[in-house]
Amino acid sequence: MARWPRRAGFHAAALGVTAVFLVPGLWVVAASLRRPGLPPPATIEWLPDPVAWSNYARIFEVLPLARYLANSLLVAGLAVPLTILVASWAGFAMAQLPARVRHALLALAVMVRMVPLTAVWLTRFLVLRELGLSDTIWALLAPVWMGSSPFFVLIFYWSFRRLPVAMFEAARLEGVGPLRIWAWIAMPLARPAVAAVALLTFVQYWSDFMNPLLYLRSDDRYTLALGLRVLQQLDATNWPLLMAGAVVMMLPVLLLLALMQRAFWPAADGERAGASLGRLGA
Amino acid sequence: MSRALVGLLLAAVSLGQSAGAAEPPAERISFMVFGDIAEKAAYEQLVADFTRHHPRIQVSLIHIPSQGDYRKRLGVDFAAGNPADIVLLNYRRYGAFAAKGVLEPLGPYLERSRVIRERDFYPQALEPFRWGGALMCIPQNLSSLVVYYNRDLFDRAGVPRPTDDWTWDDFLHAARALTRDTKGAGRIDQYGLGTEVSIFRLAPFVWQNGGELVDDPKAPTRLALDAPLTREALQWFVDLQVTHHVVPDLAEEKAESSERRFLNGRLGMFLNSRRGVPTYRTITSFDWDVAPLPRRRQRAGILHADAYCMPKGGRAKAAAWAFIEYANSPEGQRSIATTGRTVPSLRALAESPAFLDPGSKPASSRVFLTEVPFIRAVPVTEGWIDVEDLAGEELARAFYGRAGIDEVIATTIQRAAPFFKRQRN
Amino acid sequence: MGVAATIRPRRGADARYRTTLYLLLAPFLLGVVVLVVLPVALSIGLAFTAYDGLSAPEWRGLANFRELAVDPLFHIALRNSLVFVALTVPLRLLIALGLALLLSRSRRGVGLYRVAVYVPTIVPSVAYALIWLWIFNPRYGPLNLALESLGLPAPAWLIDSTTALPAIALTALFTMGEGFVVVLAGLRSIPAECYQASAIDGAGRAATLRHITLPLLAPWLLLLTFRDVIVSAQSTFTPALLMTGGGPYYATLFVPLLMFETAFDHFRFGQGAAMMLLLLLVVGALIGLTYRAVGGWGYEDEI
Repeated sequence: MARWPRRAGFHAAALGVTAVFLVPGLWVVAASLRRPGLPPPATIEWLPDPVAWSNYARIFEVLPLARYLANSLLVAGLAVPLTILVASWAGFAMAQLPARVRHALLALAVMVRMVPLTAVWLTRFLVLRELGLSDTIWALLAPVWMGSSPFFVLIFYWSFRRLPVAMFEAARLEGVGPLRIWAWIAMPLARPAVAAVALLTFVQYWSDFMNPLLYLRSDDRYTLALGLRVLQQLDATNWPLLMAGAVVMMLPVLLLLALMQRAFWPAADGERAGASLGRLGA
Repeated sequence: MSRALVGLLLAAVSLGQSAGAAEPPAERISFMVFGDIAEKAAYEQLVADFTRHHPRIQVSLIHIPSQGDYRKRLGVDFAAGNPADIVLLNYRRYGAFAAKGVLEPLGPYLERSRVIRERDFYPQALEPFRWGGALMCIPQNLSSLVVYYNRDLFDRAGVPRPTDDWTWDDFLHAARALTRDTKGAGRIDQYGLGTEVSIFRLAPFVWQNGGELVDDPKAPTRLALDAPLTREALQWFVDLQVTHHVVPDLAEEKAESSERRFLNGRLGMFLNSRRGVPTYRTITSFDWDVAPLPRRRQRAGILHADAYCMPKGGRAKAAAWAFIEYANSPEGQRSIATTGRTVPSLRALAESPAFLDPGSKPASSRVFLTEVPFIRAVPVTEGWIDVEDLAGEELARAFYGRAGIDEVIATTIQRAAPFFKRQRN
Repeated sequence: MGVAATIRPRRGADARYRTTLYLLLAPFLLGVVVLVVLPVALSIGLAFTAYDGLSAPEWRGLANFRELAVDPLFHIALRNSLVFVALTVPLRLLIALGLALLLSRSRRGVGLYRVAVYVPTIVPSVAYALIWLWIFNPRYGPLNLALESLGLPAPAWLIDSTTALPAIALTALFTMGEGFVVVLAGLRSIPAECYQASAIDGAGRAATLRHITLPLLAPWLLLLTFRDVIVSAQSTFTPALLMTGGGPYYATLFVPLLMFETAFDHFRFGQGAAMMLLLLLVVGALIGLTYRAVGGWGYEDEI
């Protein structure tokens, strides 16, 4: 009984917060449905009249946005498995090496994570140029070689550290190699980590703007991030089209988030699901 | 009998081989351009026409919409060692690359050409592309700044249409008459004039007033914005927004750009070069035309010229030159002139129906030609475009009422000084 | 809870096992060297040269730094970057903490609320910038329309030099999702016994917060702060590029943007590297100061 006001209070606060976070999304969708070329609205429009679904078709006409979308999907789609591979291998190895090596690697991971991207833009550009990777998809995918982020390696590391050693020992004594142990024992038990890393990797490459800006020259290799920028440069104040483009760019990641929600959050039932993500340190 | 057959077979095989050997492999070259969608379409047509004449050269078009990004892109490409084979460059921007020695001088190619000759071009178009005495690039066009105006709005407001010798006062009068609150909602929704706020737009007005932009156009060492006649023109330009409000203020400009307003029929006049024509030809809701810039003490126009340049170190120079040659031949220039994008740099073509076609807009295309004798170019130096960029920032402060013009003039001259130290040639 | 497996050296099979482990580690290490270590080293070296990307780098000693010391644009950019960090890091931390405290317990519907709070973090930065550009539009944007309809003042946001930087800072407050998740995890890792003990002692919610929760969260918060300082120093690039281009009149010129333009617009890679080095030094100093200021709250714990 004393719970009621508190529960109501909680929901009121939470709903208020949610509104602040989500209402702008509604504005964006409404704006994307407005007919371009009209003078500004006098008040906030929650739903324009007439509704111009054609904006979504128009952005694909003005630019080869479909190709950009495909390119983005290709890059992100390739990045996810490659990242999971490199990051989980590194995390797995780290989890089993002796303490001294482990701590050194942890320190390395944390330090690398502290290095800001802007510090390496210029010179990474020069390095990849020497390797002949300019204007190729491999320049965009280059970060997979370090697991896309030391953070992902750490996620796998923490996941594997929480698994009982007996499992590994038993397999090892039977002469099973690390690769097999990784594939058949460790990974299946690290599903939440895989889900989290998959989602975050997809988001990282899908949203990537800096690398396509630096490395891509040919118009047909552009990704969606660059495509939206071009859309803005062609017609900087055509808000309906720009908002339609933004919506198109947001939908896949929102969908992915919705699908992976289960594995992502500390579940009410299993401590395991949450605990693997538990120690999400800096 | 069998020997004859074998002989026939051998002959057939060797014929087949030699026929194959006579076919050189297809060459691929890339051509980088800037501009909006309609301009891109114009270049696509040029490429298509070229491919019909040279089927073994494949040209891929690289299109960068914004001029600002264009320079970055080109810079990155040079740094990456893979610039396009042909690059379209404006005369104000090519200097930075010429100074670094990364462009191939095209003068010798032009001399050896049997399709085009130097004397066929307007000298005003060629001149800015000479660097250290050598011709670096071949210009495709020359255009002055003109006034695009919405005929229907003029007629409806009862404002007389611009004439060939209209003055600054006529211009201002028209702009004021066309700036109105058409819906009675208490807010101005139609403006009389729209323009980019830059030194480049200001220049012809300075010259018309008898002033100069720099101390010595041939060898500039500083901006001369503080000279009385120059300052007077600058004040007039700034007053268009600050005092007369015939131009959208900053908030309005960010909400809907002037060019967009013109395309949507809510702007009376817009200052632009020939570049805008392909886009404006898509206008269906109102009638429009061009008029010369209004004049003051003297007539003056400002040169807009883009040229085909060839980066050094490319591997397909012959093919690249073949494209440049075609693009600047009467045929190539006709191809792109029909899209409306250019005022051809080939004199004969500019004065022909290909450009002056009465059936295509703008009806008064002749205006572009009558301006040619009065066209002047801005200085061509390595750092000119940087001077323009920072001067534009400063000018915008004055234009949108954030600072007084004397403060802005002083700051601009001081900030531009280092960029003049890097000299041309 | 698991205890990590430690390999005790035990002959051939173990040596092979260990070798394979190192092989698994190799791609990551190689990637780190080629993609981070090498570029950072080059960056530090480049900062002392003049390099235009075309001809060979030319040694200049400290000349780049001397020029930056008197360059007004760099001063503006550095100041803007520091102001941005000072504005956003504490606020993001507070918001993340507040939201995590609100949404930490598994009530009905809490999953949805958590997702809602996390959404802005995964919106791609280009789309995010364009969306805010429109929201902040002084004439058309819904924010000002809403403010006007409520009779509140409607500032010019991104086109006014006093409100432009705060506007961009405002957009950064919504993307504290990563910190939110971290604090959430931190809260969950506090053993229930601590709360029980404080409840037995009769402590109210505020006291529990101050004496139990916050101190136990401290190391998480500290690490989060460090990470956020680094991120904020550079996350302004996309918003500044797309929303204001560094304007109006350099009010939103940040060091990453200036660096990008110096290197790729004016072909001065050496100067750009020098800028980045200086920013890193300043950020490093900030982190050091923060650590000192909180008296080294973090205790040795296995991360």
